[in-house]
Amino acid sequence: MSSVQSVDRSPGPAAEEVAAGAEGVAPERRSRAALWLPVATLIIGLALTVTLSLVSQSQYTNSEKRLLALRVRDASLLVTAALPSVQTSLASVAELADATNGNLSRVDQFASALVGAPASGKQFVSLSLWKSADPAAGPVAVLGQTPRLASAPARAAALFASAMHRNTVGVTSFLTSQPPGLGYAYSAPRVPGGYVAYAETALPANRRSKLQTSNAFANLDYAIYFGASQRPQDLLVTNLSHFPAPSPSHAETVPFGDGALTLLMSSRVSLAGSLPHDLPWLIGIIGVLLSVAAALLTWRLTERRRSAEELAGRLEVTASENRRLYGEQRSIAQTLQHAMLPDVLPEIPGMLASARYEAGEQGVDIGGDWYDVIDLDGRRLLLVVGDVSGRGLKAASTMASLRYAIRAYAAESDPPDRILTKLSHLFSISDTGQLATVLCAQLDIAAREITVTSAGHLPPLLLSNGSGRYVEVEAGLPIGVEAGSTYTATTIAAPMAATFLAYTDGLVELRGESLDQGLERLRAAAAGDHSELPDLLGRLVTELPHGPSEDDIAIVGVRWTS
Amino acid sequence: MDKLEVEPGSLVSFDVAVDGRRHAIVRIAGELDMSGIDPLAAQVEEALARGIDRLTVDVGQVRFADSSAIALWVRWAGAVSAFELLDPPSLLRRVITAMGLSEKLGVVQ
Repeated sequence: MSSVQSVDRSPGPAAEEVAAGAEGVAPERRSRAALWLPVATLIIGLALTVTLSLVSQSQYTNSEKRLLALRVRDASLLVTAALPSVQTSLASVAELADATNGNLSRVDQFASALVGAPASGKQFVSLSLWKSADPAAGPVAVLGQTPRLASAPARAAALFASAMHRNTVGVTSFLTSQPPGLGYAYSAPRVPGGYVAYAETALPANRRSKLQTSNAFANLDYAIYFGASQRPQDLLVTNLSHFPAPSPSHAETVPFGDGALTLLMSSRVSLAGSLPHDLPWLIGIIGVLLSVAAALLTWRLTERRRSAEELAGRLEVTASENRRLYGEQRSIAQTLQHAMLPDVLPEIPGMLASARYEAGEQGVDIGGDWYDVIDLDGRRLLLVVGDVSGRGLKAASTMASLRYAIRAYAAESDPPDRILTKLSHLFSISDTGQLATVLCAQLDIAAREITVTSAGHLPPLLLSNGSGRYVEVEAGLPIGVEAGSTYTATTIAAPMAATFLAYTDGLVELRGESLDQGLERLRAAAAGDHSELPDLLGRLVTELPHGPSEDDIAIVGVRWTS
Repeated sequence: MDKLEVEPGSLVSFDVAVDGRRHAIVRIAGELDMSGIDPLAAQVEEALARGIDRLTVDVGQVRFADSSAIALWVRWAGAVSAFELLDPPSLLRRVITAMGLSEKLGVVQ
């Protein structure tokens, strides 16, 4: 087997092309296929992450703004809540003054509880009564500090007019002077010539406040302005040390007496809590991690699929290589088989020899059938047909040694029975597990005499004048069974134009059928066919049924032509 | 006859039974050719290696046997002191006769 395999292993040009194709295309396609998918995954993942992050950030900002606006509203309610108590106090004083027609001692008695020094914690630092009809005359009575309004009669007139007109507290500011303060004026409605109660409060000199301890201002930076604008000169109170206020900030202007206050606030902490604040970052970090993980996973899957495809490709190459090798080996087997059979048959005047060999379909194994026609001396032929059991190179080499041994013995002029006896020494079934059936026939052309011996081989067929019969020959032991077996030679006379056929069992054996049926089928087909010898042999080989044609068929014939 | 072991995908089944007196009975059924011969050959070879001296091969259920199968039996026949091919069907008997092996395989004509 070694020589056959060493031939087969060297790949032919076709195999090299296939292999080169698989190796050449793969790497380029591999790197592209392996990279674009993971990169795309990464890009898509990062884009999603950024989008989600931005959406979440914008949601957060919006909710912070909304929450801040709510806080500003809360705070403004708190700030403006101071006004009703101012109004109540001033209204009480004004009404008392009106009721007592300016009895200041009564007023004084009531109002002294409201007025005190700036640090005393009293509501006002200054309280005074004015005649509403004559503000320019100044206050008619004063409690506490001298009102700063007294030095600005025009302002007093405008303030009182506005307060009376709107029936609310008139508010004015003294922010440029030290200490800064606010002034409130109120007069009872519909009392012509009545009194106006006017009070002043002090603001912290540095405008700094501890208001943040109150809940409404907790964690907030704030600035409260007098009026609707946020001018520095209108600043009432703040806890900010720098302006502008940190972003995000929110401002709201609310009515305050006849004027307004503006609250500017910004948050020091996330109002919605820490999770919404951190969410964009969390989304960002987790998204990036997930994107990278997805990209890596995609890369690994791509790699795995690629190697699977590569493997499949390699297997495909291997399979086609195997198919090729199978075909090659089969043709090698057939070549070898034909090499072991004679190329040309001898030509002797007065006779025609022909042979056919048909390989069975049992894979790549070579069969053990053979035939031979040997010219003994120009007058006589030795015709041999044999069949070694089994298949493969072992059967073929046994067949070859038998064939050449017979040629050697024939050259020594041994008769057929002696040849077979000598062959029986060649090998033993106990060593090789093989046996061989051999038919050896010597044909004397001129004498028309046939001497046949058989080592367990099927009987030869003799055709003449459209009839056929099997030569009754005693079948001796097949070669390999017993060394030194003896064989009986049977000699018959050949009729005119006789045809002598010998064959191997593949021609007549059918599973499930008696051997005699097969022999009869061959006899009938051969006897009824009057074509030339080669055509006859060809027809017998191709047209006789021989099952799944698993067995090799050898047939050799000699026909007398004169 | 008991059911014989059948290898999946094989057309042949067989059974090797050894009785205590260095005697083995091989029962074969089905179609025995080169493709299915190896397991049978191995099992009987093992029995022979253990010193089996007499072999009875029951081929009553064999429908077909090719030359490899017959060669196997001839080989067994040469390896023991007593060999008997039991109950060969007529088709098989005819082939054995044509091969000149009736006597060798103990087939009565």
